[in-house]
Amino acid sequence: MSELREIDYEAVVESLLYVAGDEGVKPETIAYVIDKTKEDVMALLVNLTHRYESEHSGLELVNYGGSYKLVTKQLMAPFVKKLLHEEKNNALSQSALETLAIIAYKQPITRVEIEELRGVGAEMMLKKLLAKGLIKEAGRSEAPGRPILYEVTEEFMDSFKLENLDELPDLPQYSKKDNESLFD
Amino acid sequence: MGFEVETMKFEGPLDLMLHLIQEQKLDIFDLDMAVLADQYLSYLHKMESLQLEIESEYLVELSTLVEYKSKKLLPKKKDEEDEELDPKVRLVERLLEYQRYKDAASFLNESFLARQDEYAKPLSMIELEDDEEQARYEGDPFDLLKAMNKVLRRRQLSQPMSVRLATREVSTEDRILQIKARLIDLPDVFSFDKLLDDCKDIIDYIVTFLAVLDMTKNHYLTFSLDENDNIYFGRGTNNE
Repeated sequence: MSELREIDYEAVVESLLYVAGDEGVKPETIAYVIDKTKEDVMALLVNLTHRYESEHSGLELVNYGGSYKLVTKQLMAPFVKKLLHEEKNNALSQSALETLAIIAYKQPITRVEIEELRGVGAEMMLKKLLAKGLIKEAGRSEAPGRPILYEVTEEFMDSFKLENLDELPDLPQYSKKDNESLFD
Repeated sequence: MGFEVETMKFEGPLDLMLHLIQEQKLDIFDLDMAVLADQYLSYLHKMESLQLEIESEYLVELSTLVEYKSKKLLPKKKDEEDEELDPKVRLVERLLEYQRYKDAASFLNESFLARQDEYAKPLSMIELEDDEEQARYEGDPFDLLKAMNKVLRRRQLSQPMSVRLATREVSTEDRILQIKARLIDLPDVFSFDKLLDDCKDIIDYIVTFLAVLDMTKNHYLTFSLDENDNIYFGRGTNNE
Protein backbone atom coordinates (compact mmCIF):
# COMPACT_ATOMS: atom_id res chain seq x y z
CA MET A 1 0.00 0.00 0.00
CA SER A 2 2.66 2.49 1.06
CA GLU A 3 4.36 2.11 -2.31
CA LEU A 4 1.48 3.84 -4.04
CA ARG A 5 2.62 7.37 -4.56
CA GLU A 6 -0.60 8.89 -5.63
CA ILE A 7 -3.92 7.29 -5.03
CA ASP A 8 -6.72 8.16 -7.38
CA TYR A 9 -9.57 8.27 -4.88
CA GLU A 10 -12.16 8.31 -7.60
CA ALA A 11 -10.87 4.89 -8.60
CA VAL A 12 -10.92 3.74 -4.98
CA VAL A 13 -14.55 4.79 -4.59
CA GLU A 14 -15.37 2.98 -7.81
CA SER A 15 -13.85 -0.23 -6.46
CA LEU A 16 -15.84 0.09 -3.23
CA LEU A 17 -19.04 0.58 -5.21
CA TYR A 18 -18.24 -2.48 -7.27
CA VAL A 19 -17.74 -4.65 -4.21
CA ALA A 20 -20.80 -3.30 -2.39
CA GLY A 21 -23.00 -4.23 -5.36
CA ASP A 22 -26.73 -4.11 -4.75
CA GLU A 23 -26.24 -3.50 -1.02
CA GLY A 24 -24.97 -0.05 -1.97
CA VAL A 25 -22.73 2.05 0.19
CA LYS A 26 -23.36 5.29 2.07
CA PRO A 27 -21.11 8.35 1.62
CA GLU A 28 -20.34 8.26 5.36
CA THR A 29 -19.01 4.72 5.02
CA ILE A 30 -16.84 5.66 2.05
CA ALA A 31 -15.55 8.67 3.98
CA TYR A 32 -14.56 6.39 6.84
CA VAL A 33 -12.87 3.84 4.56
CA ILE A 34 -10.79 6.31 2.55
CA ASP A 35 -10.31 8.66 5.49
CA LYS A 36 -11.70 11.76 3.80
CA THR A 37 -14.46 14.19 4.68
CA LYS A 38 -17.99 13.54 3.52
CA GLU A 39 -17.73 16.64 1.30
CA ASP A 40 -14.70 15.15 -0.46
CA VAL A 41 -16.61 11.92 -0.98
CA MET A 42 -19.64 13.72 -2.39
CA ALA A 43 -17.38 15.50 -4.90
CA LEU A 44 -15.86 12.15 -5.94
CA LEU A 45 -19.34 10.64 -6.30
CA VAL A 46 -20.49 13.53 -8.47
CA ASN A 47 -17.49 13.04 -10.75
CA LEU A 48 -18.10 9.33 -10.95
CA THR A 49 -21.77 9.87 -11.69
CA HIS A 50 -20.82 12.06 -14.65
CA ARG A 51 -18.29 9.55 -15.84
CA TYR A 52 -20.87 6.79 -15.94
CA GLU A 53 -23.34 9.02 -17.74
CA SER A 54 -21.16 8.70 -20.84
CA GLU A 55 -22.72 6.51 -23.50
CA HIS A 56 -19.60 4.38 -23.41
CA SER A 57 -20.65 2.99 -20.06
CA GLY A 58 -23.35 0.39 -19.55
CA LEU A 59 -23.48 1.21 -15.86
CA GLU A 60 -25.04 4.03 -13.97
CA LEU A 61 -24.29 5.36 -10.49
CA VAL A 62 -27.52 5.90 -8.56
CA ASN A 63 -28.48 7.01 -5.07
CA TYR A 64 -31.49 5.13 -3.75
CA GLY A 65 -32.46 5.69 -0.14
CA GLY A 66 -29.13 7.35 0.63
CA SER A 67 -26.99 4.43 -0.61
CA TYR A 68 -24.94 4.69 -3.76
CA LYS A 69 -24.79 1.71 -6.07
CA LEU A 70 -23.81 0.75 -9.56
CA VAL A 71 -26.63 -0.57 -11.71
CA THR A 72 -26.96 -1.36 -15.38
CA LYS A 73 -28.56 1.37 -17.44
CA GLN A 74 -32.19 0.90 -18.34
CA LEU A 75 -31.19 0.98 -22.00
CA MET A 76 -29.29 -2.27 -21.48
CA ALA A 77 -32.27 -4.08 -19.98
CA PRO A 78 -33.32 -6.05 -23.09
CA PHE A 79 -29.86 -7.59 -23.35
CA VAL A 80 -29.48 -8.24 -19.64
CA LYS A 81 -32.90 -9.88 -19.58
CA LYS A 82 -31.95 -12.12 -22.48
CA LEU A 83 -28.81 -13.18 -20.64
CA LEU A 84 -30.76 -13.98 -17.49
CA HIS A 85 -33.68 -15.60 -19.34
CA GLU A 86 -36.00 -13.09 -17.77
CA GLU A 87 -39.11 -12.31 -19.68
CA LYS A 88 -40.95 -9.64 -17.84
CA ASN A 89 -40.73 -7.49 -14.77
CA ASN A 90 -42.56 -8.32 -11.56
CA ALA A 91 -45.57 -6.19 -10.83
CA LEU A 92 -47.08 -5.13 -7.55
CA SER A 93 -50.83 -5.40 -7.13
CA GLN A 94 -52.95 -2.28 -7.27
CA SER A 95 -53.81 -2.61 -3.59
CA ALA A 96 -50.13 -2.97 -2.66
CA LEU A 97 -49.28 0.15 -4.66
CA GLU A 98 -52.13 2.18 -3.15
CA THR A 99 -51.19 1.11 0.37
CA LEU A 100 -47.54 1.98 -0.24
CA ALA A 101 -48.50 5.34 -1.74
CA ILE A 102 -50.55 6.20 1.35
CA ILE A 103 -47.77 5.19 3.72
CA ALA A 104 -45.08 7.02 1.74
CA TYR A 105 -47.05 10.27 1.69
CA LYS A 106 -48.54 10.13 5.17
CA GLN A 107 -45.97 8.31 7.26
CA PRO A 108 -45.83 7.47 10.06
CA ILE A 109 -49.37 6.16 9.79
CA THR A 110 -51.51 3.56 11.56
CA ARG A 111 -53.40 0.68 10.00
CA VAL A 112 -56.76 2.27 10.82
CA GLU A 113 -55.80 5.50 9.08
CA ILE A 114 -54.82 3.55 5.96
CA GLU A 115 -58.10 1.63 6.05
CA GLU A 116 -60.03 4.87 6.39
CA LEU A 117 -58.34 6.26 3.28
CA ARG A 118 -58.84 3.17 1.12
CA GLY A 119 -62.18 2.07 2.53
CA VAL A 120 -60.97 -1.53 2.91
CA GLY A 121 -59.12 -3.64 5.47
CA ALA A 122 -55.34 -3.43 5.36
CA GLU A 123 -54.13 -6.04 7.82
CA MET A 124 -53.02 -8.74 5.38
CA MET A 125 -51.54 -6.22 2.98
CA LEU A 126 -49.43 -4.71 5.76
CA LYS A 127 -48.13 -8.15 6.66
CA LYS A 128 -47.20 -8.79 3.05
CA LEU A 129 -45.45 -5.46 2.70
CA LEU A 130 -43.58 -6.04 5.97
CA ALA A 131 -42.47 -9.44 4.69
CA LYS A 132 -41.27 -7.87 1.46
CA GLY A 133 -39.28 -5.38 3.53
CA LEU A 134 -40.96 -2.40 1.86
CA ILE A 135 -42.38 -1.03 5.10
CA LYS A 136 -41.43 -1.26 8.76
CA GLU A 137 -42.94 -0.53 12.13
CA ALA A 138 -42.04 2.88 13.48
CA GLY A 139 -43.12 2.97 17.10
CA ARG A 140 -46.62 3.55 18.33
CA SER A 141 -49.14 6.32 17.98
CA GLU A 142 -50.36 8.24 21.04
CA ALA A 143 -53.95 7.50 19.96
CA PRO A 144 -56.11 5.24 22.18
CA GLY A 145 -54.85 1.68 22.12
CA ARG A 146 -51.42 2.98 21.08
CA PRO A 147 -51.65 1.45 17.57
CA ILE A 148 -48.51 0.58 15.61
CA LEU A 149 -47.19 3.19 13.19
CA TYR A 150 -45.79 2.23 9.81
CA GLU A 151 -43.32 3.86 7.49
CA VAL A 152 -41.49 2.93 4.30
CA THR A 153 -37.97 1.47 4.32
CA GLU A 154 -34.77 2.10 2.40
CA GLU A 155 -35.72 -0.99 0.44
CA PHE A 156 -38.83 0.91 -0.65
CA MET A 157 -36.69 3.83 -1.86
CA ASP A 158 -34.50 1.35 -3.72
CA SER A 159 -37.48 -0.37 -5.32
CA PHE A 160 -39.01 2.92 -6.47
CA LYS A 161 -35.85 4.76 -7.56
CA LEU A 162 -36.04 7.40 -4.83
CA GLU A 163 -33.15 9.13 -3.11
CA ASN A 164 -35.53 10.26 -0.36
CA LEU A 165 -39.24 10.90 0.09
CA ASP A 166 -38.90 14.55 -0.93
CA GLU A 167 -38.49 13.22 -4.45
CA LEU A 168 -42.08 12.05 -4.54
CA PRO A 169 -44.14 14.36 -6.74
CA ASP A 170 -46.73 16.50 -4.96
CA LEU A 171 -50.14 14.90 -4.73
CA PRO A 172 -52.54 16.41 -7.26
CA GLN A 173 -54.94 19.03 -5.93
CA TYR A 174 -58.21 18.76 -7.78
CA SER A 175 -60.51 21.68 -8.34
CA LYS A 176 -63.89 22.04 -10.01
CA LYS A 177 -62.44 22.60 -13.45
CA ASP A 178 -60.72 19.21 -13.24
CA ASN A 179 -63.93 17.23 -13.22
CA GLU A 180 -63.57 16.29 -16.90
CA SER A 181 -59.96 15.22 -16.66
CA LEU A 182 -60.03 13.76 -13.17
CA PHE A 183 -60.30 10.16 -14.20
CA ASP A 184 -57.94 10.03 -17.14
CA MET B 1 -81.92 -10.45 -24.53
CA GLY B 2 -78.43 -9.47 -23.66
CA PHE B 3 -76.21 -11.39 -21.41
CA GLU B 4 -73.85 -9.14 -19.57
CA VAL B 5 -71.13 -10.13 -17.20
CA GLU B 6 -69.46 -7.33 -15.36
CA THR B 7 -65.95 -8.46 -14.64
CA MET B 8 -64.51 -5.21 -13.36
CA LYS B 9 -62.52 -5.58 -10.21
CA PHE B 10 -62.65 -2.81 -7.68
CA GLU B 11 -60.24 -2.10 -4.88
CA GLY B 12 -63.09 -1.29 -2.53
CA PRO B 13 -66.24 0.80 -2.13
CA LEU B 14 -64.48 4.10 -2.81
CA ASP B 15 -62.99 2.71 -6.01
CA LEU B 16 -66.43 1.52 -7.05
CA MET B 17 -67.98 4.92 -6.34
CA LEU B 18 -65.31 6.70 -8.38
CA HIS B 19 -66.04 4.32 -11.23
CA LEU B 20 -69.79 4.96 -11.00
CA ILE B 21 -69.30 8.73 -10.89
CA GLN B 22 -67.18 8.52 -14.01
CA GLU B 23 -69.54 6.12 -15.78
CA GLN B 24 -72.64 8.18 -14.97
CA LYS B 25 -70.77 11.40 -15.78
CA LEU B 26 -71.66 12.83 -12.39
CA ASP B 27 -70.02 16.02 -11.20
CA ILE B 28 -67.94 15.02 -8.22
CA PHE B 29 -67.89 18.63 -6.99
CA ASP B 30 -71.68 18.77 -6.99
CA LEU B 31 -72.42 15.15 -6.30
CA ASP B 32 -75.91 13.82 -6.84
CA MET B 33 -76.02 11.44 -3.90
CA ALA B 34 -79.36 9.95 -4.90
CA VAL B 35 -78.08 8.82 -8.30
CA LEU B 36 -74.88 7.53 -6.76
CA ALA B 37 -76.79 5.57 -4.11
CA ASP B 38 -79.07 3.99 -6.74
CA GLN B 39 -76.18 3.03 -8.98
CA TYR B 40 -74.19 1.69 -6.07
CA LEU B 41 -77.08 -0.42 -4.91
CA SER B 42 -77.80 -1.75 -8.38
CA TYR B 43 -74.16 -2.72 -8.74
CA LEU B 44 -74.32 -4.67 -5.50
CA HIS B 45 -77.52 -6.35 -6.69
CA LYS B 46 -75.77 -7.34 -9.88
CA MET B 47 -72.92 -8.85 -7.88
CA GLU B 48 -75.42 -10.68 -5.76
CA SER B 49 -77.27 -12.08 -8.78
CA LEU B 50 -73.95 -13.36 -10.11
CA GLN B 51 -73.55 -15.01 -6.73
CA LEU B 52 -70.38 -13.07 -6.07
CA GLU B 53 -69.50 -12.50 -2.51
CA ILE B 54 -69.96 -8.92 -1.42
CA GLU B 55 -67.35 -7.89 1.08
CA SER B 56 -68.57 -6.21 4.23
CA GLU B 57 -66.73 -2.97 3.39
CA TYR B 58 -69.16 -2.40 0.53
CA LEU B 59 -72.10 -2.69 2.88
CA VAL B 60 -70.65 -0.21 5.37
CA GLU B 61 -70.46 2.47 2.68
CA LEU B 62 -73.86 1.49 1.36
CA SER B 63 -75.39 2.29 4.72
CA THR B 64 -73.88 5.79 4.55
CA LEU B 65 -75.40 6.34 1.13
CA VAL B 66 -78.80 4.96 2.05
CA GLU B 67 -78.92 6.91 5.29
CA TYR B 68 -78.23 10.12 3.43
CA LYS B 69 -80.89 9.34 0.85
CA SER B 70 -83.54 8.42 3.39
CA LYS B 71 -82.89 11.53 5.46
CA LYS B 72 -83.61 13.61 2.39
CA LEU B 73 -87.07 12.13 2.17
CA LEU B 74 -87.98 13.17 5.68
CA PRO B 75 -89.35 16.63 6.40
CA LYS B 76 -86.74 18.72 8.07
CA LYS B 77 -86.35 21.92 9.99
CA LYS B 78 -84.49 24.76 8.41
CA ASP B 79 -81.57 24.77 10.82
CA GLU B 80 -80.91 21.11 10.22
CA GLU B 81 -79.97 21.71 6.63
CA ASP B 82 -76.33 22.67 7.13
CA GLU B 83 -75.76 19.73 9.33
CA GLU B 84 -77.25 17.49 6.72
CA LEU B 85 -74.79 18.50 4.04
CA ASP B 86 -71.95 17.14 6.11
CA PRO B 87 -71.90 13.46 5.12
CA LYS B 88 -71.92 14.45 1.46
CA VAL B 89 -69.04 16.90 1.84
CA ARG B 90 -67.21 14.30 3.83
CA LEU B 91 -67.77 11.61 1.20
CA VAL B 92 -66.60 13.86 -1.64
CA GLU B 93 -63.47 14.68 0.34
CA ARG B 94 -62.78 11.01 0.89
CA LEU B 95 -63.30 10.23 -2.79
CA LEU B 96 -60.95 13.00 -3.90
CA GLU B 97 -58.38 11.97 -1.31
CA TYR B 98 -58.57 8.37 -2.51
CA GLN B 99 -58.22 9.46 -6.14
CA ARG B 100 -55.01 11.30 -5.18
CA TYR B 101 -53.46 8.11 -3.88
CA LYS B 102 -54.64 6.20 -6.93
CA ASP B 103 -52.72 8.72 -9.02
CA ALA B 104 -49.70 8.36 -6.75
CA ALA B 105 -49.94 4.57 -7.04
CA SER B 106 -49.73 4.73 -10.81
CA PHE B 107 -46.64 6.92 -10.56
CA LEU B 108 -45.08 4.42 -8.15
CA ASN B 109 -45.93 1.58 -10.50
CA GLU B 110 -43.92 3.19 -13.31
CA SER B 111 -40.88 3.66 -11.08
CA PHE B 112 -41.18 0.12 -9.78
CA LEU B 113 -41.17 -1.35 -13.28
CA ALA B 114 -38.35 0.93 -14.44
CA ARG B 115 -36.24 -0.03 -11.43
CA GLN B 116 -36.35 -3.66 -12.49
CA ASP B 117 -34.62 -2.74 -15.72
CA GLU B 118 -31.61 -1.74 -13.64
CA TYR B 119 -29.48 -4.63 -12.43
CA ALA B 120 -26.90 -4.59 -9.68
CA LYS B 121 -24.59 -7.43 -8.74
CA PRO B 122 -24.68 -8.97 -5.26
CA LEU B 123 -22.24 -7.94 -2.57
CA SER B 124 -18.82 -9.43 -3.29
CA MET B 125 -17.77 -11.29 -0.20
CA ILE B 126 -15.97 -14.44 0.71
CA GLU B 127 -18.54 -16.63 2.41
CA LEU B 128 -17.78 -16.86 6.08
CA GLU B 129 -18.30 -19.96 8.15
CA ASP B 130 -21.59 -20.07 9.98
CA ASP B 131 -21.29 -17.98 13.07
CA GLU B 132 -23.40 -19.85 15.55
CA GLU B 133 -22.83 -17.29 18.27
CA GLN B 134 -24.91 -14.68 16.54
CA ALA B 135 -27.86 -13.21 18.37
CA ARG B 136 -31.02 -15.00 17.43
CA TYR B 137 -34.67 -14.57 17.95
CA GLU B 138 -37.65 -16.75 17.34
CA GLY B 139 -39.60 -15.53 14.36
CA ASP B 140 -43.02 -16.13 12.95
CA PRO B 141 -43.58 -17.54 9.45
CA PHE B 142 -43.68 -14.04 7.96
CA ASP B 143 -40.09 -13.52 9.13
CA LEU B 144 -39.20 -16.77 7.45
CA LEU B 145 -40.83 -15.58 4.26
CA LYS B 146 -38.85 -12.35 4.37
CA ALA B 147 -35.63 -14.24 4.92
CA MET B 148 -36.50 -16.61 2.10
CA ASN B 149 -37.00 -13.69 -0.26
CA LYS B 150 -33.54 -12.48 0.61
CA VAL B 151 -31.99 -15.88 0.00
CA LEU B 152 -33.74 -16.18 -3.34
CA ARG B 153 -32.60 -12.76 -4.46
CA ARG B 154 -29.03 -13.43 -3.48
CA ARG B 155 -28.96 -16.83 -5.13
CA GLN B 156 -30.64 -15.58 -8.25
CA LEU B 157 -27.91 -13.05 -8.81
CA SER B 158 -25.03 -15.31 -7.91
CA GLN B 159 -26.10 -18.06 -10.28
CA PRO B 160 -27.93 -16.35 -13.09
CA MET B 161 -27.17 -18.96 -15.74
CA SER B 162 -29.09 -21.87 -14.29
CA VAL B 163 -30.12 -23.97 -17.24
CA ARG B 164 -33.82 -24.46 -17.61
CA LEU B 165 -33.68 -27.60 -19.66
CA ALA B 166 -34.10 -31.02 -18.08
CA THR B 167 -35.66 -29.82 -14.88
CA ARG B 168 -36.29 -32.80 -12.75
CA GLU B 169 -39.04 -32.49 -10.28
CA VAL B 170 -38.49 -33.37 -6.67
CA SER B 171 -41.62 -33.57 -4.60
CA THR B 172 -41.79 -31.88 -1.23
CA GLU B 173 -42.20 -35.31 0.37
CA ASP B 174 -39.02 -36.60 -1.26
CA ARG B 175 -37.20 -33.49 -0.22
CA ILE B 176 -38.28 -33.95 3.38
CA LEU B 177 -36.82 -37.47 3.30
CA GLN B 178 -33.58 -36.15 1.82
CA ILE B 179 -33.30 -33.49 4.49
CA LYS B 180 -34.05 -36.00 7.26
CA ALA B 181 -31.23 -38.15 5.91
CA ARG B 182 -28.87 -35.19 5.86
CA LEU B 183 -29.76 -34.25 9.44
CA ILE B 184 -27.54 -37.10 10.64
CA ASP B 185 -24.42 -35.35 9.36
CA LEU B 186 -25.42 -31.77 10.00
CA PRO B 187 -24.32 -29.87 13.13
CA ASP B 188 -26.83 -28.97 15.85
CA VAL B 189 -27.40 -25.61 14.30
CA PHE B 190 -27.01 -25.00 10.60
CA SER B 191 -27.86 -22.24 8.19
CA PHE B 192 -30.48 -22.33 5.48
CA ASP B 193 -27.74 -21.85 2.91
CA LYS B 194 -26.21 -25.10 4.09
CA LEU B 195 -29.44 -26.92 3.24
CA LEU B 196 -29.45 -25.28 -0.16
CA ASP B 197 -25.96 -26.59 -1.00
CA ASP B 198 -27.26 -29.33 -3.24
CA CYS B 199 -29.87 -27.19 -4.96
CA LYS B 200 -29.40 -26.63 -8.65
CA ASP B 201 -32.16 -24.26 -9.54
CA ILE B 202 -34.97 -22.13 -8.24
CA ILE B 203 -37.37 -25.07 -8.16
CA ASP B 204 -35.07 -26.84 -5.73
CA TYR B 205 -34.98 -23.76 -3.49
CA ILE B 206 -38.71 -23.55 -3.40
CA VAL B 207 -39.19 -27.26 -2.77
CA THR B 208 -36.60 -27.03 0.02
CA PHE B 209 -38.41 -24.05 1.48
CA LEU B 210 -41.73 -25.92 1.39
CA ALA B 211 -40.05 -28.93 2.95
CA VAL B 212 -38.63 -26.97 5.88
CA LEU B 213 -41.96 -25.20 6.38
CA ASP B 214 -43.58 -28.59 6.69
CA MET B 215 -40.81 -29.88 8.94
CA THR B 216 -41.01 -26.91 11.28
CA LYS B 217 -44.77 -27.32 11.44
CA ASN B 218 -44.33 -30.98 12.43
CA HIS B 219 -41.57 -30.12 14.93
CA TYR B 220 -38.75 -31.90 13.11
CA LEU B 221 -36.98 -28.59 12.86
CA THR B 222 -36.96 -25.31 14.71
CA PHE B 223 -35.83 -22.13 13.07
CA SER B 224 -34.45 -18.83 14.23
CA LEU B 225 -33.21 -15.73 12.51
CA ASP B 226 -30.42 -13.33 13.23
CA GLU B 227 -30.67 -9.59 12.77
CA ASN B 228 -29.64 -9.88 9.11
CA ASP B 229 -32.53 -12.23 8.36
CA ASN B 230 -30.27 -15.25 7.99
CA ILE B 231 -32.19 -18.40 8.76
CA TYR B 232 -30.80 -21.02 11.12
CA PHE B 233 -32.28 -24.42 11.84
CA GLY B 234 -32.04 -26.71 14.82
CA ARG B 235 -33.56 -30.07 15.71
CA GLY B 236 -37.17 -30.05 16.78
CA THR B 237 -38.87 -32.07 19.49
CA ASN B 238 -39.94 -34.74 17.03
CA ASN B 239 -36.36 -35.96 16.53
CA GLU B 240 -35.76 -37.19 20.02
